[in-house]
Amino acid sequence: MQAQEIVAYQKDMEWEEYLVPRSLDEALEMLERYRGAARVIAGGTDIVPATRKGGTGIKALVDITRIPGLNMIRLDGETVKIGSLVTHTEVALSGLIRKRGMALAEGASRLGSPQIRNIATVAGNILNAQPGADTLIPLLALDGSVTIRGRQGERSIPLAELFTGVGRTTIDSTKEIVTEISFPGLGKGEASAAMRLAKRKTLVLPILTVAVVIGVDPGAKTFAKARIAVGPVATTPFRCKAAEEILVGSPVGEEVIRKAAADAAKAANPRTSLIRGTSEYRKAMVAVLVERGIATALKRLEESNG
Amino acid sequence: MAKKSVTFKVNGKEVSVDVAPGEMLVDVLREKLGLTGTKVGCREGECGVCSIILNGKLIASCLVPVMKADHSTILTIEGLEQNGEMHLIQKKFIEDGAIQCGFCTPAMVLAGKALLDENPHPTREEIQLAISGILCRCTGYQKIIKAIDSASQAGEMR
Repeated sequence: MQAQEIVAYQKDMEWEEYLVPRSLDEALEMLERYRGAARVIAGGTDIVPATRKGGTGIKALVDITRIPGLNMIRLDGETVKIGSLVTHTEVALSGLIRKRGMALAEGASRLGSPQIRNIATVAGNILNAQPGADTLIPLLALDGSVTIRGRQGERSIPLAELFTGVGRTTIDSTKEIVTEISFPGLGKGEASAAMRLAKRKTLVLPILTVAVVIGVDPGAKTFAKARIAVGPVATTPFRCKAAEEILVGSPVGEEVIRKAAADAAKAANPRTSLIRGTSEYRKAMVAVLVERGIATALKRLEESNG
Repeated sequence: MAKKSVTFKVNGKEVSVDVAPGEMLVDVLREKLGLTGTKVGCREGECGVCSIILNGKLIASCLVPVMKADHSTILTIEGLEQNGEMHLIQKKFIEDGAIQCGFCTPAMVLAGKALLDENPHPTREEIQLAISGILCRCTGYQKIIKAIDSASQAGEMR
């Protein structure tokens, strides 16, 4: 019998070139030169495992991490802007983001592991387009947008319009580069929260993620604003608009929160999955997490006012 | 595949090495620089045994193309010993019996160092979080947590 070679893994990656541009224009030129055979790498925590088996046809990586100006978190008017090189650790610890969009800081603090969060960018988490991604769900609730640069110029797309399917966006990653993520910073009378249900705390994909943004009218004590995002319960990150409508205008109270949570569970359509549990269980948990998310945001609001 | 040269500072020493663009940092450390204290487990960032400190941050070296590390500063387990003396965290791992098979130990020690460099007196929860990206299949983690805590109690880290 002939000895069989057992290959446990492939060691080297298949790309032949690793390019390190110093400007966005240079990076876009490099992408263009490879006509679809080059990919952008920032943190690399998605693209490396995804291409480990080879056969992807990727000839070159364009590493954008040395391009100046993309590594910042700042407030521009009332808009929070996050450069596309900002890591999950940086977002999780950012005082500005914790103050103006806590749900995003929470989401960022739960992705992967410390080692992953230290290098993985939030822009990468968005572009990977998994419908339950830890920063995506909060950013959807926060009404976030992304800014993209291509050879033809710059454009900005609301996250709500970005996704076309699991792992798919309207961004052509062989031609375009995300430069910035932004969301309207929450102000007085507004708060947010992100909830995650998973088998353990580190290095597992979520069974469910939920993010909630609320605004409360201080005089009338009614919900002035409500945005609820849930994932993964559809092929794209999901907004529970009917549940939001139940809340807006209603007096803040347990009953209306429970009603909205039940409606969110009704609208969400999680699949039965060997990894994530049965559809029935996950549907029931949508209601629990939405209720907890709203309660947590309300508590935060109370604390910030107190 | 055209060879490239990368330069970085590894454990205090400036090193230049010829690499292929598709090589990963963990393999260059182990096979070209002989630093086999950094282990290879899953190659997907899931097990954490390849953890090193890159520019002051704990990262999984199996996910880092070596070209990305050009001009960086790297600390591996081999860099902790100074003048023949082990680092305080290493001593505490031995004293507290935080080592069994040893495969995750270099990563655990470096995770402890990365933590204590930023936060010299962490809570138990902060220690748990700091090592949460590394799998240990022997110890049950308790003694590793204790060893990092002992090092923190014993004070001066650097």
